[in-house]
Amino acid sequence: MNTKIIIIYISTFVLGNVYCASDLTEEEIGHVIEGRVFPPEDPNNSNWQLDTRVHVNGGEYIGFVREDGTFVVHNLPSGSYVVEIVHPDYMYEPVRVEINSKGKYRARKVNYVQTSQVIQVPYPLRMKPVTKFRYFQVREQWRLTDFLFNPMVVMMVLPLFLIMILPKMMNDPETKEDLKQISNLAKISDVPEMSEMFTKIFNRGSVPKPTSSKAKQIKKRQ
Amino acid sequence: MGNLSINLKPNFMGLLKCLNSINWFIVFFSLINLSMCIYEDQIGKFDWRQSYVGRIKFAQFDTVSTARKIIVATEENVLAALNLKTGQVVWRHVFESTSSGNIQLLHLSDQIITVTGSNPYLVRGWDLSTGVLIWEWGLTLQKNEHTDFSEWWVQNGLLVHMVPKFGSHIEVSVYNVATGHNRGATSKLPAVWINEGCVLSPPYYTCISGSPGNQLLLSMDVTSDAVQIISKPLAEYTTARNGNLNPFDTNTVIPGFLLNEKIILIRGNKFEAINIAISEPSASVALVDSASGPLVLQTWNDEAKGFTLMAHNLVSGQRVNEIGWSDRSLSIPEPELSAVICTKTAREQHVCRILVTAADDASHLIQQEGRVLWTREEALANVVAVEFVDLPVSDLDAAIESEFDQKEGSVLAAFTRRLQSQFQQLQGAVRALLAGDAAAADEPPPLVRDYFNLHKIMVLLTDTGKIFGMDNLSGEILWKLYEPNLNTEAAVMFTRRSARHPPHDAYLTVVGKHEETGNGLIVSLNPIRGTPVGEQTLHLDVQILQCAVLYKADAQKLHALILLDKDENVQILPESSAPLVENMYMHVADRSSAVVRGYALRHDGERVSAKNIWSVDLSGGGSQRVVWSVSKPAAERIHSAGRVLPDRSVLYKHLNPNLVLLLTEGPDPVHKDVVVATCVDGVSGGVLSAHVHRRARRPALPLHSEHFLAYLYYNDKQRRHEIATLELYEGPERWVPAGAAFSSLRGARAPHVQRHAYIVPAAPAAAALSATERSLTDKHVLLALSTGAIVELPWALLEPRRALSPAGEAREEGLVPYAPELPLPAEAVVNYNATLLRLTRIHTAPSGLESTSLVLATGLDLFYTRIAPSKTFDLLKDDFDYYLISVVLAALVLATYSTKYFAARKMLKMAWK
Repeated sequence: MNTKIIIIYISTFVLGNVYCASDLTEEEIGHVIEGRVFPPEDPNNSNWQLDTRVHVNGGEYIGFVREDGTFVVHNLPSGSYVVEIVHPDYMYEPVRVEINSKGKYRARKVNYVQTSQVIQVPYPLRMKPVTKFRYFQVREQWRLTDFLFNPMVVMMVLPLFLIMILPKMMNDPETKEDLKQISNLAKISDVPEMSEMFTKIFNRGSVPKPTSSKAKQIKKRQ
Repeated sequence: MGNLSINLKPNFMGLLKCLNSINWFIVFFSLINLSMCIYEDQIGKFDWRQSYVGRIKFAQFDTVSTARKIIVATEENVLAALNLKTGQVVWRHVFESTSSGNIQLLHLSDQIITVTGSNPYLVRGWDLSTGVLIWEWGLTLQKNEHTDFSEWWVQNGLLVHMVPKFGSHIEVSVYNVATGHNRGATSKLPAVWINEGCVLSPPYYTCISGSPGNQLLLSMDVTSDAVQIISKPLAEYTTARNGNLNPFDTNTVIPGFLLNEKIILIRGNKFEAINIAISEPSASVALVDSASGPLVLQTWNDEAKGFTLMAHNLVSGQRVNEIGWSDRSLSIPEPELSAVICTKTAREQHVCRILVTAADDASHLIQQEGRVLWTREEALANVVAVEFVDLPVSDLDAAIESEFDQKEGSVLAAFTRRLQSQFQQLQGAVRALLAGDAAAADEPPPLVRDYFNLHKIMVLLTDTGKIFGMDNLSGEILWKLYEPNLNTEAAVMFTRRSARHPPHDAYLTVVGKHEETGNGLIVSLNPIRGTPVGEQTLHLDVQILQCAVLYKADAQKLHALILLDKDENVQILPESSAPLVENMYMHVADRSSAVVRGYALRHDGERVSAKNIWSVDLSGGGSQRVVWSVSKPAAERIHSAGRVLPDRSVLYKHLNPNLVLLLTEGPDPVHKDVVVATCVDGVSGGVLSAHVHRRARRPALPLHSEHFLAYLYYNDKQRRHEIATLELYEGPERWVPAGAAFSSLRGARAPHVQRHAYIVPAAPAAAALSATERSLTDKHVLLALSTGAIVELPWALLEPRRALSPAGEAREEGLVPYAPELPLPAEAVVNYNATLLRLTRIHTAPSGLESTSLVLATGLDLFYTRIAPSKTFDLLKDDFDYYLISVVLAALVLATYSTKYFAARKMLKMAWK
């Protein structure tokens, strides 16, 4: 029964030419992955060893960081492993470590798209923090440039420029006449006079005074 | 030049048009905006996290370091330090969840020493104050089946490992703790008398051996150089025919053991029976040291007196009166003494702190007089199912609602009712105003529905059979119910009646298995108060095959529970709902044989019977087995029946409510491992589509909603996790007219299936889809990673219609070009730096706000938050500047009138000219 399984495995080995953890016999258990984690440069990060975890293949094997930053992951059969350093605030680049059946190690950059690409990195691993994670959005602050380059403002200013400045530059009576018409159209209807509103409210029922607002008088004269 | 103005006008229009289209782009980009993260000042505003460690296996008080702690090792393979005062986790180390992370030994000296794994073993030393690893070494033994019974302990700074080989010998190895250097190699002690019933009380190994009636009590110090066996006839210590050996739960003083409720110590190579009675056979007994000599502590749960604790002085055999009490109010089923520490005060009084672990996984730290300092509900480290339950409306709202219920009555009566409720409202408002903020802060918010229905109760079903009711806003436990016989493997929960039908209470049912018999066990309760209702706890006499809730409610607004048992009989609970069964179908997938069977349920006037109408064999020649089966969420709404394409035509979605996605996995002679995803219609049994992934393993985390499906698997060839997504479309024309009900039995037309696979550059642990009330909001996928982050991804990124290089139309539609790798930006992490360890599931529920979806992630930790996939379009931002907007408004009004005044003056001046 046992030999049968081995034969099947060997045949897949030849076909696929990729080795995997589950194919291996017991004698090969017992490889270790070693490395060193460099602490993030943060003064108030005294106990960073506690927050930093070493995950191999997404937590299938776990290593712990010592005081000086070194770590060892024990009892791995030969195969291919992704070593991740997990820290809540800092990003570390994962590394793929391959251990062959003879116990030789190769560490390379993880590339999930081009899986056959090999960019070697030194082994024992040296894991350095890449960046700090940016989890939060920055609150918007009011800035003049933001306001001016706002598309809405630009949309308002541009036609204004076309309407107001261009005709002045052209200085042509006929266009002036046209533009006058446009501006007449665009004139905002009269805002109600405050005093008038109040008199209307309080003198409800009484005869409205024949005299109207000054603005209206002026208009009539025009 | 005169022509210019004429030319200008159309140009101007064109410009406007152009600007308009730019505007559309802005709108479009803001819709698929990827930055949906929160602001830094919003931490803890909508979310909370609770950290757990699991059921405590070993615990020891840390008496060395200044900060008082309890160091615990748990069944969940976690090593943690708990604050003695509060019970909070100080630090935590999580080992592998498999057997390689099993904690075998926890020993405290000036360091913490742990042994984990089961051959190979790992011995680690941790700093007691900081919890940082100091040293570690591995140990691999020759493989044999006896290592399961091996024992570890630390003696005089040396680590002792003992492997008993029953009926033959004992292998004892002694190691230097810090280095693993083997001192004196392994010694084999001949002992033919050992068996499974032996107990270890370091360094003595004690057994009962011999023929019945002529049994001997044998014990041996396994660490001494000279083999010395203590042997006494069993009859000297017990009159019972069969001796039963038990170790102490905690022992720090003298080697000893329990023989049939009798304490026997080993002192000076002699057995010594102690005359202290053990009151209960099930009592947990501990031997602890105190200032006035060793004490024997025993605790049990008395039926009449409740939780009981008793202490005796070991030397004198006298009861220590100040330690010992009974408390009826404490519900600690099957208490077990995990750790005890006793000191003496100035007044010669014993002061003990006792850590008790109960059968419901809760740990209590109890002080003198039975005062519970803190309780940790460690059952919550293993949540199996979650149900979000709506709260009932307040009395006032209920009164207003009842106002509209009463249809009869004159106009005048309606008017008085209106006035009455209005008056009540006014009263309430005045009362709230008078009470002020002080009163509001003291009392907890009442359990009533809020305006946006964001406040709910989460019912959590845990692995041990303890059910919790939890407030979703604060994370506070409102009620708990322990059901010792409930086996929650594959258990399900149904909300059978919501709280919106007063005077009827809400009704929730848990369907599980009985711990011993495996038959169905049904627990019905009121999810708001945690009290049993309806059929309460019902123990069926048959195993359940499948269960469902009837879609139609009865007169009491209760949805009936339909159970299909092993003999294909149907049970309806309550039975009065049987006539309502109509057009009901069920399917059962057998895990190992991969056969899916469909049943039609018919009511023939008397009873409901199930008829097997179809069966599909997915075993693919016998090797495949079903791993997952997922159908659509029951309460799902669909907002749109199609997608509008850029040419104004509509691509109709295939919205089959009966669709079931079945994931099967199995070995293959050529492709090593094969994963098959099959879409089966749950009513007709028709296979709509099937997809095979060669050289793939571990299909997981299927998602299913509307017309789309997704599942993860591990690509063995490329050694990466991939997510496959499917979308089902009917095409440019509808199969059934708009408004008509979908029927699975009407003609078999295969939908058009779009599919894609994406690389997930991480190891996913759980996945869920956001859920909103009316599905207007975009669907987002929540992906929990093994690193402890939950990433929120828009479905637009997973869409199978993403083309490699989108042509004109696709670009206009807003499809993102295909990229093989999914981006997992840090901004999309909803739990920011609050790492969640060993996440297992994500649960989502809609809220009353269309934009907002409630999320609970379970695992070792609990994390609750709310997400807004399309941003909070129906809610003002929480940083909305009321002040600024009112100032601007006032300034505008002022400016309008002042300019009017100045304009009038100018006009007047012009007129006088």
